Amino acid sequence: MRGGFFGEYLRVDLGSGEAIRVALDPAIARRFVGGVGLGAWLLHQETPRGFDPLGAEAAVIFAFGPLLGTPLTTSAKYALVAKSPLTGRIGDALSSSRFAVMAKRMGVDAIVLTGCAARPSVLLLDEDGASLEAAGDLWGHGLPVSGAAEVLATRFPRYAFALIGSAGEHLVRYAGVTNEGRHAGRGGLGAVLGAKRLKAIGVRGDRRVPLADAAKTIALSKALAKRSLGPATEKYRELGTVGNLAAFNRLAALPTRNFQESTFEGAADVSGEILHATRRKGRGSCVNCTIGCEHFFEVAPGEAPVKAEYENVFALGPLCGIRDPEVVLRASRSCDELGLDTISSGGTIAFAMECAERGLFDGTVFEADARGLRFGDGARLLALLDDIAFRRGALGDLLAEGSRSAAARLGPPAPDFAPHVKGLEIPGYEPRALQSMALGFSVGSRGADHNRSGAYEADFSGKVDRFNVSADSARSAIATEDRAAVLDSLILCKFLRGTLVDFFGESAEMLAAVTGFDCDAGELRRAAERIVVLKRLFNEREGWTAAEDTLPERFFTQSLTKGSADGAVISRAGLARSIAAYYEARGLRADGTVPAETLSANQLDSL
Amino acid sequence: MIARRRGKGYAPVVVTIELYGVPRMRAGRDEVAVEAGCLGDALAALGRECPVLAPSVVDGHHLHPCYVVAINGIQFTADAEHPLRDGDAIVLLAADAGG
Repeated sequence: MRGGFFGEYLRVDLGSGEAIRVALDPAIARRFVGGVGLGAWLLHQETPRGFDPLGAEAAVIFAFGPLLGTPLTTSAKYALVAKSPLTGRIGDALSSSRFAVMAKRMGVDAIVLTGCAARPSVLLLDEDGASLEAAGDLWGHGLPVSGAAEVLATRFPRYAFALIGSAGEHLVRYAGVTNEGRHAGRGGLGAVLGAKRLKAIGVRGDRRVPLADAAKTIALSKALAKRSLGPATEKYRELGTVGNLAAFNRLAALPTRNFQESTFEGAADVSGEILHATRRKGRGSCVNCTIGCEHFFEVAPGEAPVKAEYENVFALGPLCGIRDPEVVLRASRSCDELGLDTISSGGTIAFAMECAERGLFDGTVFEADARGLRFGDGARLLALLDDIAFRRGALGDLLAEGSRSAAARLGPPAPDFAPHVKGLEIPGYEPRALQSMALGFSVGSRGADHNRSGAYEADFSGKVDRFNVSADSARSAIATEDRAAVLDSLILCKFLRGTLVDFFGESAEMLAAVTGFDCDAGELRRAAERIVVLKRLFNEREGWTAAEDTLPERFFTQSLTKGSADGAVISRAGLARSIAAYYEARGLRADGTVPAETLSANQLDSL
Repeated sequence: MIARRRGKGYAPVVVTIELYGVPRMRAGRDEVAVEAGCLGDALAALGRECPVLAPSVVDGHHLHPCYVVAINGIQFTADAEHPLRDGDAIVLLAADAGG
């Protein structure tokens, strides 16, 4: 390989502290691109069938893309890949910035962590090897993530860190991993590190990433940076993703009170427009990003501002019936400092609020903790986040398992309205009002997911009927899954997608300049298909069946009643037809499993 | 009432253009009432009423590709000839709904 890769990955056994460099076959690197694709392949290789995601035999993989370490804007990202303890299926989450750059510059294309440390530890990695340091007072004392990060920076100033919070230490199944205030949030991969007794991983490297054609890479980088400042990213630069909230509310696509409705009477109070008008405090960006989508807002005078995005505002606001922006911002900060995924936190608490209002906790061991819990109660929301992160009380311990597990414990009718797919709580796109997205959620390999499927784009385009799922939905789901697979493997930020006119062709041009691969759009299209199938194959190995490719019962039986979505409900038969169309177009059997010919066509025979 | 075709155009009716996101921030207004017979005429009127939105959001009778409109929050269209009814709400928002 002439550029983009170092041709090695690092495998660290946390039990022994031994680190070895393992050769990475150039053909594998090219076939799976990097990032999520490479991480998924390594997960297959490094784990046995049916392993416990919180057991010692679990592997967690930090996988880097070929573009990381180049001047291409938004490329400073890594993929974290493991079996999700929340879903039991593949979990892949992305984060950004200096940690990613420093990690790859150790001269590796991925880091694979296996085993389990004997005591709470901090792993330090550099080009000379690995050392495990006692976590000491960083573990078990309830330090906020930002506080722990400061301690680490003081003790080990030459390293960049990714770390878990109290939620990860307590194995909350939707605990995330944080670096530099950014989060690999979804799927509970922080709990995987917590189970390995790993508080933090520090990396230090200064090798230059080789470029096959440096002049071309630099020219492409300049052009991409210029385009990244154009109209396609204006929303992210000027307003951030919080700009979705008021518009989604107007389109009756804003999940409200645990998906009971899709418009929120308090939306104006927590909209991006009002947050900017009344609380805007600044803007930030990841390392090597020209877009700068991060927007910070004042919680209260004298307090540090909080970074807010659509997903955390939706999940901790309308989904829980909360319209007080100060509460929403405080809850968002709590999730960041406790190391909790905001979407799953909001989704699980909203579910609990509905259970409480319906009396489903009455007569159970959770009754005392849940007494008086209701939608709109900001104080209870904030208290529950702490209870969950520390597994405090019967209710906190229950909700730390996620909405699917909590619903199963409570019994009928709770599973009908637990807001998840495959155990992963649903993000802020109402499925009944965005029915191509409903399909995208249903078939997603990591569960309900707006970052691995962008089928909502079809719903917002007018090219499909957004209130009726159809075969056209399958095409949209596949097209956006494929694009995400490439972006998550190269890795580049999805907010660039609108700047690429010929997505696969331009992506291939960047990959060719960096790596020297003689690749084209067709090769990347095939790689995208391969990566999607690979992830499904992992799930199949771990027990997935087609019964998981669906939505909660609520979406088939309870119509929305307000706004432009009045009367909207998902046809069970219509969704089944669109799933069948998806399976067929993906080359899967009617039951969604991967046949030998599709394995062969995707060069996955060895798996 | 739906605007009646008059020659190549449509008889104007009163519609409201609702602004979301960057257009709202830039224009400093939540909505703008205009008289127009079809979507293209409404967009042109918006550009005249809020020059700060031209050409980054509306360019003459057309919408910039980075924006979309949903008539009454339901029907997405970029068709400048789309006829309007009296009282229609034209919901104007960013085409990219990524969150």
